[in-house]
Amino acid sequence: MAGDMKPLFEERLKRYQAAIALEVPDRIPISAGSNYFAEVYGGYNNQQMVYEPNIWVDADRKFVQDFPEADNLRSGRFWGPHHDAVGWNLYRLPGRDLSPSVQFQFVEGERMKSDEYDLLIQNPVEFMFERFLPRALNDFKERGSVRSYMAFLKGGMAAIMWGFFARNRIMTQESELGMPLPMAGVMLAPFDYLADGLRGLRGIMIDIHRQPEKVLEACETIIPDIVNAALSIADPLRRYPIFMPLHRGAFPFLSPKQFDKFYWPSFKKAMLMLIDAGYTIRAYLEGDWGPNWHHFQEMPKGKILCDIDDKGDIFKAKEDLGGYQCIAGGMPDHLLILGSPDQVIDRTKVLCETVGKDGGYIINAGCGIPYDTKAENYRAMIDGVLRYGRYHEGPTEFEIQMNPNPPAQWKPPPRRVITPWEVKLDELGTIAGDEKIIRENWESLEHRAYNWLWSWAW
Amino acid sequence: MSELSELGKALLELNEEKVHLLVKKKLETGESPDRIILECNNGMVEVGARFERGEYYISELVMSGEILASVMKELGPMLGTVQQGPSLGKVVIGTVKGDIHDIGKNIVVMFLKGSGFEVIDLGVDVPAEVFVKTVKKEGAKVVGLSVLLNSMFAAMKEVVDKLAEAGLRDQVKVLIGGSPCNEDVRRFTGADYYAKDASEGARICKEIYS
Repeated sequence: MAGDMKPLFEERLKRYQAAIALEVPDRIPISAGSNYFAEVYGGYNNQQMVYEPNIWVDADRKFVQDFPEADNLRSGRFWGPHHDAVGWNLYRLPGRDLSPSVQFQFVEGERMKSDEYDLLIQNPVEFMFERFLPRALNDFKERGSVRSYMAFLKGGMAAIMWGFFARNRIMTQESELGMPLPMAGVMLAPFDYLADGLRGLRGIMIDIHRQPEKVLEACETIIPDIVNAALSIADPLRRYPIFMPLHRGAFPFLSPKQFDKFYWPSFKKAMLMLIDAGYTIRAYLEGDWGPNWHHFQEMPKGKILCDIDDKGDIFKAKEDLGGYQCIAGGMPDHLLILGSPDQVIDRTKVLCETVGKDGGYIINAGCGIPYDTKAENYRAMIDGVLRYGRYHEGPTEFEIQMNPNPPAQWKPPPRRVITPWEVKLDELGTIAGDEKIIRENWESLEHRAYNWLWSWAW
Repeated sequence: MSELSELGKALLELNEEKVHLLVKKKLETGESPDRIILECNNGMVEVGARFERGEYYISELVMSGEILASVMKELGPMLGTVQQGPSLGKVVIGTVKGDIHDIGKNIVVMFLKGSGFEVIDLGVDVPAEVFVKTVKKEGAKVVGLSVLLNSMFAAMKEVVDKLAEAGLRDQVKVLIGGSPCNEDVRRFTGADYYAKDASEGARICKEIYS
């Protein structure tokens, strides 16, 4: 990283990591995982932010120039051409299906049928290729057609290209702008894989009544696959939390009893696997998680940053989670969009003096900063933090958590392969030289490709 | 609140098997399909009441709707013009232009229909002009605007403004609902009401039409 940006990068990272670890940083961090305002601040529209990687760096520069007090910046959510290569139908995109200035949006659907639980549980690979992917990827409907083959080829190529664009953006953020990422890598709660992309809301709500045991079994079955997929794109240095957008654990989708039975057990297990691998988590508790967030008290302390959404009560969250996990949120979306700078400063002051006391708090709106935030209001929020949210003079006293290695004795969950090395070896016959370097690459590509399949599930 | 029949109770308890058994028995003894639907609807009203009281959650709403739909399907060919009593009034509802989310809206529609309203559901991504045209055509006294995204405040305001432009503002009440809505948003959009959930929405519609 450019030498002169290293101190600023470290200052921001320390502040962020300290808050998550429940240590007190120099001031309350200003960190949104999804800063939609930052995306469009530079004058680019939603479609451009999804389709044109060459403007991403410029958009970031413009934002950081005017708001250098922000503590991190996201590296983006989608690259449209990747979706188009395979005809992914889980999202409508700005400029393609929606107006160019509107957010991408999820399309509800039943891409797994109610009688397909056994297949998912017993043979996830067959489930993926025979049932889910043909429904989720329009270009894969006619399997065996040249187009369907090309779709996978183009999709794989697009994934690598996107990775390149994202890495380039991240390098600029880190070394030119001194900006850490708010999160890297992603995993859903097992229940949400079923509830979002696979069965859809209507489907899962019926399943928990008609076939509750299957739902539970399916949630357990997919854990190794989703954990491995998350770890494969997480920060190799373990500096940044793994992102978890959480949906159907909110009130009033499930009753607390249903949450305890269906949502929590596999979710807890999967989260612990990420934590055991040496990571922290940034969890968006989307909607109102009030009745259920007490469960985060069961988790290792200071490992899960909980974003409290607009609908959640930030003061109750602090009461319930203070001392257990760091929380983010508290700035009402509508205040940033419709309010005045004075109102925003007043609210910031309240937050700093209540939920911000003694650390364990990051200022944010509901799981992100809205697209329509008025610039003067975002500025007011920052000014409010600088004025009322400082814990002490001098820098954050905290040693940066950075580790390229997992904890000793850690093993990844079983990695699913479609064609095991033994089969390939049998086909190759006698290996003339070093088998290890052939095998390692074969298996690495198998894992990558399998993770890519799961990336279409949410 | 009417006393629930055994069928209504079975639906309320989400006992699918029993519901279908009872429907079969009733048909065999020559009971009218309209009466069967009426008993089911009474059960649905109680489902709504339990949801309001926090005893039932969305999964129970969806499950009860599913059971009702399967009963309707079974009775389909036998249903004449189902007489459920006079409609309480017309409600035009839709998710505004730019937003394609409809889970919340569909729950509201279920509540409104269950309460006895005639619902004209315009779907999602609905332009302001379509709301206006439909209100005019149907003579509805209520239009419900549903949103999930907090970037839709202007789109909601546009519907209210276009209703005024069309000279319809005085004859229709505008009700907004959805995750990002609150009193401040209501004021900004010029809407008359904001409903924090489906049952409040139904209650407000009853008030307007009373």
